[in-house]
Amino acid sequence: MVKYLIRRFLGWLLMIVVATNLTYFLAWGYLDPRSNYVGRRPPLSEQQIVQQLLPRNLSDTVPLVERWWNWFTAIVTRWDWGVSPVGQVVNEQVAFRMWVSAELVLGATILTTVLGIALGVYTASRQYRLADRVGQATSIVTMNINIVVAALGIVLLAIALNNAVGKRIFYVTGSGSRGVEGFFPKLIDILQHLTLPTIALVLIGYSGIHFLQRSLLLDNIKADYVRTARAKGLTKQQAIRKHALRTSLIPVATQVAFTIPTVFTGAVLTETIFAWNGMGRYFIETISNNDIHGTVAIAAFGAFLTAIGALLSDIAVVVLDPRVRVS
Amino acid sequence: MSPVLSVKDLKVSFPSEAGRGDAVRGVTFDLEAGKTLGIVGESGSGKSVTSLAIMGLLDENARITGSIIYDGMELLGKSDKQLSAIRGNGMSMIFQDPLTSLTPVFTIGDQLVEALTVHRKMDKQESWNRSIELLEAVGIPNPERRMKAFPHEFSGGMRQRVVIAIAMANNPKLIIADEPTTALDVTIQAQVLDVAQKAQDETGAAMIMITHDMGVVARTADDVLVMYAGKPVEMAPAHELFHKTRMPYSIGLLGAIPRVDKKEKQPLIPIQGNPPLLIGLPDECPFADRCPIAIPECRASEPALLPVDTGTGGNHLAACIRKHEISDGGRIGNGTVYPIPEQLESELTLTPREERPVVLEVRNLTKTFPLLKGAFLKRKVGEVRAVKGVSFDVREGETMAIVGESGSGKTTTLLQIMDFEKQADGDIIIAGTSVNDIKSGKQERLLRRDIQIVFQDPMGALDPRMTVADIIAEPLQAIGTNRGDANRRVDELMDLVGLDPAHSDRFPQAFSGGQRQRIGIARALSTSPKLIALDEPVSALDVSIQAGVINLLDELKAKLGVSYLFVAHDLSVVRHIADRVAVMYKGDFVEHGDVDDVFDNPQHPYTKSLLSAIPVPDPDIERGRERIIFDPDNI
Amino acid sequence: MSDMIDPQVHEKELEFEPGNEPAARKRMSKWTLYSRRFLRNKPAVVGIFIFLLLVAFAIVGPMMTEYDHIDMDFLNLSTGPSAEHWFGTNASGNDNFAQVSIGLQRSLMIAVTVSVGVTALSAVIGTAAAYFGGWTERTILLIIHFLMVVPSFLILAMISNDSGGDWRVIAFLMIFVVGWFFPARVIWTMALSLREREYVHAARYMGVRGFRIVLRHLLPNIGSLLVINFTLGIVSAVMTETGLSFLGFGVKIPDVSLGALIGSGANTITSAPWLFYFPAAALTLLTVSMALVADGLRDALDPTSAAGGRA
Repeated sequence: MVKYLIRRFLGWLLMIVVATNLTYFLAWGYLDPRSNYVGRRPPLSEQQIVQQLLPRNLSDTVPLVERWWNWFTAIVTRWDWGVSPVGQVVNEQVAFRMWVSAELVLGATILTTVLGIALGVYTASRQYRLADRVGQATSIVTMNINIVVAALGIVLLAIALNNAVGKRIFYVTGSGSRGVEGFFPKLIDILQHLTLPTIALVLIGYSGIHFLQRSLLLDNIKADYVRTARAKGLTKQQAIRKHALRTSLIPVATQVAFTIPTVFTGAVLTETIFAWNGMGRYFIETISNNDIHGTVAIAAFGAFLTAIGALLSDIAVVVLDPRVRVS
Repeated sequence: MSPVLSVKDLKVSFPSEAGRGDAVRGVTFDLEAGKTLGIVGESGSGKSVTSLAIMGLLDENARITGSIIYDGMELLGKSDKQLSAIRGNGMSMIFQDPLTSLTPVFTIGDQLVEALTVHRKMDKQESWNRSIELLEAVGIPNPERRMKAFPHEFSGGMRQRVVIAIAMANNPKLIIADEPTTALDVTIQAQVLDVAQKAQDETGAAMIMITHDMGVVARTADDVLVMYAGKPVEMAPAHELFHKTRMPYSIGLLGAIPRVDKKEKQPLIPIQGNPPLLIGLPDECPFADRCPIAIPECRASEPALLPVDTGTGGNHLAACIRKHEISDGGRIGNGTVYPIPEQLESELTLTPREERPVVLEVRNLTKTFPLLKGAFLKRKVGEVRAVKGVSFDVREGETMAIVGESGSGKTTTLLQIMDFEKQADGDIIIAGTSVNDIKSGKQERLLRRDIQIVFQDPMGALDPRMTVADIIAEPLQAIGTNRGDANRRVDELMDLVGLDPAHSDRFPQAFSGGQRQRIGIARALSTSPKLIALDEPVSALDVSIQAGVINLLDELKAKLGVSYLFVAHDLSVVRHIADRVAVMYKGDFVEHGDVDDVFDNPQHPYTKSLLSAIPVPDPDIERGRERIIFDPDNI
Repeated sequence: MSDMIDPQVHEKELEFEPGNEPAARKRMSKWTLYSRRFLRNKPAVVGIFIFLLLVAFAIVGPMMTEYDHIDMDFLNLSTGPSAEHWFGTNASGNDNFAQVSIGLQRSLMIAVTVSVGVTALSAVIGTAAAYFGGWTERTILLIIHFLMVVPSFLILAMISNDSGGDWRVIAFLMIFVVGWFFPARVIWTMALSLREREYVHAARYMGVRGFRIVLRHLLPNIGSLLVINFTLGIVSAVMTETGLSFLGFGVKIPDVSLGALIGSGANTITSAPWLFYFPAAALTLLTVSMALVADGLRDALDPTSAAGGRA
């Protein structure tokens, strides 16, 4: 089993390496670090620009293959992902921003999953009744509201609430205030900042899980073994909770594992709207600033998360499904 | 003695797009302790819905009226919670498909223990020990070890034993078995029926045996209830029902079954037409459209289920206004209820077999599958020999049958031939051409004209998005026949298989199962092949429909001189249709020869056990039969 | 051998009468069945109604006002909705009504193009992978897995930004880099089960060529899935395009799309909220209505849908 996972991991690793290198060449095709210096006042001479870029391995006076080799060996030998055209160290940026994003994404993913599964179970066992119809209608709307609209709508509501109360309950920008000391004040400050973007992510994310859980559970409710369980003497609700739910959780778990990387991309927009300095914002900044090394690092990070998601879903199947485990 | 179960005028209807469908339209019976009631009927007759209604397991959208009194309690109107106290405790159920009726993610032990602890307080050890006892009782070897196994580690027959163990766990007063052996092989079926019998003896329970198989009824039932279109049409003690049948539908049902113990090759007696839809049925005999002795009065109103005197004084009920005119043996007046179809004799049978040309020759056909190990990562650890070098030939105008149970390799053999699989150390020669000589796609397509196939599932084998004309013409198009010729051929073929050529622009969904199988046969005939491979062509059909298709195959063989390679698990059908037979077991032919030789004088112990396991639709014969158990270690 | 009543089969058999032009009747009754099921789904009917209104607005809207979407009315800078400017104006004096209708037009254009392309590409690739199996299948699956690892949105943003927000470039990338591989995988799994259907085996044993089997048997039988995929594809394309334009990497001035409008509206969300409200409303109505239509189509076309119990 472990052997199998290792092999899978190596396969993914190879794909990550290929994808990252491909992005490196693509980035050189579409991003030009030189343009950061064009139009400066006073104008920089060609010489000066090259002098700025050359030590950063970003000068197009060096052949592309050589630039690539320098970049690649730096990563392999020193785990050094390079610097931006203005000298920001990519490693530092990612190391710091990763946790900002994780703070947002992890909580939101857990909430999304729990809420989605709970709603799925609740509505499935009340199929076609009022609660199910209302739940379905709500979810189909929230699922199809664009995250931008949802987030900005939440911002507007929060501002209205803050104004109504006359106090700042929720912050609509930033991931934390400076100069807050002590455990509880700090916790409250974090929650004040975290609540709104988390709501935005959960709002558009939960419905996918809701629909999946609902339809899987409905399929399983009709399964013969649920009927056997009822024939044994379990009530319908007991049979659903014990027999149908357990089986239907397997595909849901793999689905959740797979969505982790997509939640990160969803966070690009959320972070922009709520002005969080996470990976999402970094994504925009690197592209806008022609930061090739930063862009490629983000690509690698995304690819890595996808691989982790895929592996987690493999593991989830193995843990949850005896049919796979025993054979 | 008061009955364990008393059902009165039970009616069940479901909503559907076309209106309410009346699945059960008034079922009444009493069942006493220790007795077995067999409910027979074809699909859609309402027999399963009746059993689910008794168990209270129908969907909430079902409307149920009438009365179900179990052990003095009225069950209708009880809540799910109240019923759950009775289910599995006082009455329990055995379901049709053992492969899906156990929860895949829990161990056998957990599921058994649950059946016990849900009804009574038991400590862990006690319930565990009782579960092991139960597994022992249903004949599962190594019960202690098997308790921790998951359902997928059991074979179908073993799983059905577990389901029976669950059903008998709380010593129920009533066991309902809903087609308990339909999904199993005959030898396993015999064992499972024995186990079910044992469960009934041990618990003293009453049993309802629901089945479409008259043989199973003959073997197990004390009383028999025949259902048609949601209503009982005849009810009598088993011997009465089989020997003094009075309702034309029951007569037809018995006449349509091929018998494994009968030699003579009379055509079967099919029942024409199809069962009615159960939506908005008019007030007339629902069988009138298919009944050969229907008279105008049959359409005046639906006949009630009333006593009929057969001279034995037994409690015999039948729903037919002409029931008193019918006498034993399905006779009415001077004739029979069903006209006996005439037999076509092929001219080819006049020529001795040895002098007829060989259309298919198979020499030392072998197929090995790699044996894989590992959950995801499949490593090849060995080989399974699915077919171990079989050889046979099929001559013009004859039917060669390969019969065997699931996993015997019979279908693999057939598919090897259809795939034109090149043999390393053997050969497949179709109409004189060896598949080893095929070099190009063109040669292959050319050879395909001579061999065509008919599949088991009449729905799955026809593309639902194509019209019947397109379906039948597809092989013709593949060999480049022009459209006009193809259309003419389609009309001709539809006529030949007994379909109206005017219906050729309809989609397969508009046809019934039997008609769809006829379409499949027409398609196979379109290129005038020398050989048609038939893969279980009638096993998905109801008996009354099956007879018509079997007769058609017989007729086509006689008319066209085509040969069949017939693969089936049903020995009765094989006996009826085949000239030559090979019994396959674990990839090898254990017996091979003329059909009557093999069936009347089986040599191999496996053939003997197979033949003895088939239930015969006659309670007198069936209950006296001795079963031969085949033990592979004793050869 | 189920004793349950299958509504679909019965429906069809009920309308089965011999004689009078059976083919026409048959086809009619099939469409009647589909449309009856669709129309019974009230939200879907509302959805299609809203969607048609939006399409009408996108086509007729620009002709309804005297202002072009790039005209600037210097007398009305950042004014709210009025008789002259129904949806108000932005800081440069552009008429918001004209901008929203043109933006909607652009978003729809991209979405429909992308969805057509994605559906066609994924259908062909998915079914071909499933039918031919072996080497073809392995290669296609490898490409799909690889594209899952490739950060497609990043590449989309990078190239689209470099192209100056040309909508044709965006649409092209959205088809080939972002869109096709997930649906292709879904179609592949669907087609895998179709591959094992007996009618496909039957066709093969009759000597029908491989590619013909894909076209005649596999594709028509996933037709309903494709229709649903197409509808949902519009939603996801609109979503992606909006995100891209919102970030500033998509459609750029003077061209407008809903995402670009929402992006600029977001900056003035407290001072001139109408610039956010109108495009946001148009976008939400578009995606939600399409999702409702997809839901209705699924109920109407999918024979396994549980619609029977609702009649």
